[in-house]
Amino acid sequence: MLKKEPKWLEAGGSGTVRRTLKRSITARTLVVGIALAALFGAVFLVLVLAIQQQRQAGRLALRSQEAITAGTDLEKSLINMENGLRGYVASGRERLLEPFDAGRRAYPRQVTVLTRLVADEPSQQAAVRRIASDIDDYVALWALPLVQLAGERLPSARSVIATGTGRRRLDALRAQFADLFVRERAVARERELRAEQRSDVAVGIGVAGVALVVLLAIGMWQYLRRAILRPVGVVAGAAEAVAAGDLSVRVPAAREDELGSLARSFNAMTASLERSQAELRRRTAELERSNAELEQYAQMASHDLQAPLATISMYVELLRRRAAESGDEQAAELLGGIHASSGWMRSLIRDLLHLSRVGRGELERETLDTNELLGQVLDNLAGPIRDRGAEIVAGSLPAVQGDGRQLAQVFQNLIGNAIKFSDEEHPHVTVEGVVEGDVVAFLVRDNGIGIDPAQIERIFRPFERLHGEARYEGTGVGLAICRRIVEHHGGEISAEGRPGVGSTFRFTVPRAPGPAAIERPPAPQATMAQ
Amino acid sequence: MIRRAAALVLLLAAALLVACGGGDDGPSGEPTSEPKGPVIRLGTKNFSEQFILGELYRQALVAKGFRVDLKEDVGSTEIIDAALTIGKLDMYPEYVGVLLSEIAGQKRRPRSAREAYTRAQRFVRSRDQRLLDATPFSNSNALAVKPATARRLGLRSVGDLDDAPGRVEIAAPPEFRTRFEGLLGLRELYGLRNIDVVPTAIGEQYDALDDGLVDVAAVFTTDGQLNAGTYELLDDEKGLFSYQNVAPVVSRKMLDAAPGLADALDAVSAKLTTRAMQAMNAAVDLRGDRPAAVARRFLREHGLV
Repeated sequence: MLKKEPKWLEAGGSGTVRRTLKRSITARTLVVGIALAALFGAVFLVLVLAIQQQRQAGRLALRSQEAITAGTDLEKSLINMENGLRGYVASGRERLLEPFDAGRRAYPRQVTVLTRLVADEPSQQAAVRRIASDIDDYVALWALPLVQLAGERLPSARSVIATGTGRRRLDALRAQFADLFVRERAVARERELRAEQRSDVAVGIGVAGVALVVLLAIGMWQYLRRAILRPVGVVAGAAEAVAAGDLSVRVPAAREDELGSLARSFNAMTASLERSQAELRRRTAELERSNAELEQYAQMASHDLQAPLATISMYVELLRRRAAESGDEQAAELLGGIHASSGWMRSLIRDLLHLSRVGRGELERETLDTNELLGQVLDNLAGPIRDRGAEIVAGSLPAVQGDGRQLAQVFQNLIGNAIKFSDEEHPHVTVEGVVEGDVVAFLVRDNGIGIDPAQIERIFRPFERLHGEARYEGTGVGLAICRRIVEHHGGEISAEGRPGVGSTFRFTVPRAPGPAAIERPPAPQATMAQ
Repeated sequence: MIRRAAALVLLLAAALLVACGGGDDGPSGEPTSEPKGPVIRLGTKNFSEQFILGELYRQALVAKGFRVDLKEDVGSTEIIDAALTIGKLDMYPEYVGVLLSEIAGQKRRPRSAREAYTRAQRFVRSRDQRLLDATPFSNSNALAVKPATARRLGLRSVGDLDDAPGRVEIAAPPEFRTRFEGLLGLRELYGLRNIDVVPTAIGEQYDALDDGLVDVAAVFTTDGQLNAGTYELLDDEKGLFSYQNVAPVVSRKMLDAAPGLADALDAVSAKLTTRAMQAMNAAVDLRGDRPAAVARRFLREHGLV
């Protein structure tokens, strides 16, 4: 795997800036992030500007309407003046001049308002200036002289009205107003149009900006994927391969950024692991070989030792009988001692052989009815049980999976020990079995002499004896064998107890497969007592 | 890739900003080198000859460095005089006879142009105004008829109207009805009782005459229309339509404020003969030239600008 160089390893540009940027993922991510933020900021700014301009355009459009209203007011003042003037001249009554005076008072302020409202359009401002100047002329050169004339010679004033000068002035002014309004409406329309356009532009910018930001975000995501996630994925894949046991995996490490150093560290780690594993394998093989040699040697030795020992034993016995027949009591006694020692030696060798055989080779795993197994064990132990008057209580025991002969050996050794190491009149032993998940835990409890807790580790060592040979017979291999068998089955064995109170041995064995893992309460089922 | 992206972002932002920013164009100032002195508000009445006179005086004054605000078409004598009197104008060209009869209200006919001018001058001085030099031309009122009508009705003079059958309709500007040098004088001086006035705009009397709406039209002797000889003027044997030489009426205040004003105006007035005025009126009324252009041409020809 990983023969093909991934694309992200292909070296990019040659510029210094580019190289520096390439060097660090942090720097690259930072640059892309800043670019995104800058773009977002720019889009936002432009959008705000567009909205402001749209608002401005809207305000201007509104102002046009106000200008038309103000212009209409001004025109009304003008018409009021002319009407007042005509009424006065026609009737000669000064009271009728009131609308004229009102219009004359009102119009300068109205002109100011109108001028301010059209301030944005120079041509309209000029038109308003023209109108204002013409109204001034209307007042100064027509209305006021006419009022003066009417005061002196009313008929003359009437004939002057008939000349139509005033009407011409007024009509000219009203035409100017009409023109002003037409153009102001056009301005208003244009401004509304501009406001709409600005609004469209704002919306367009918003949409385009968001689209751009999204595109850039996608681009950034793609970039991050290509530049970071994919290389990381390669390393992760390699790590999985390592976890699966393939230590030969190497990842490309040509990059100069953080990923490059990660890849180099990874490669160094796998190389180191590979070396360690090779070393371990070598040592294990060595150990296994020497172990096998040793055991073979022990087996061979014990086996080979047995034959000469049997011969020695036979000859010593022969010599002892002759000495007894010849009356040499002393020699017979000595020879008897030799005979006993060689017998002891033979049982030592036998147990050693036994120990070396246990825990070797493939286990025969079969589903076992533990109750039946225990029955056989108790049959085997019928002699000691009867001799010591022991009482063995066993509940219903869960089925297990394992080697029947070996597991029977474990029960036999533990129950045998319980009977053996007891000073009681009637040794009492209980056997229980409890399903604990995948295993069955067995407890063998007695009321014997107990164990000093400080000595517990020792009792599982081969040929370790806590008590004198004279008091309790045996070579001290039994518990060591038990441990070997249980561990060979993948279980554990432990002991606890107090001197004079009794001891409890606990060991676990894989439970029988299948749903029959029913845990039954330990109820007395088999009782053996003599 | 990053650099390209960053450049793209900047470019885009700049483009958006440019697209949104509006260009302001500053106002282009036009150079103004206005002459000093007070602004002279020069008014004119409401017919072509006055427009021409207004332009003549205005252009001549501007050429001499005065500031002039020309207010054309202010109205008839009555209104323009009122404007001058209440101080809304500084000057206007007035006809001496009109001034005398319509403003001063003097019904006694002057015997000469000189007498008319002297009396008019005396009158305006009483109102704190001055009459500058009068023009050589006199634009008198007159009654015009078509030659055919004159023959049919036997009309030679104004007094002959009394013998005309039925009522005589005279096309005239509206103020004719209330003026002494108009209907009032015709009644008072000539004793005409069979006369009605049909008001028309100035200049349109000739149209009324041509169209046969009226038999008589009140006209001015400098009218361009009279050049062609298509109309006959009735003889004013009792001197109702007096001497109508033009003289600028100027407020004394302006004369004091603008030294040299009188000389500049007098120089123009001196060149205005009846022939010259008639020709200029014809150019405007019959050929459709603009008063300003006609005036400029005249001033150039006479070396006044």
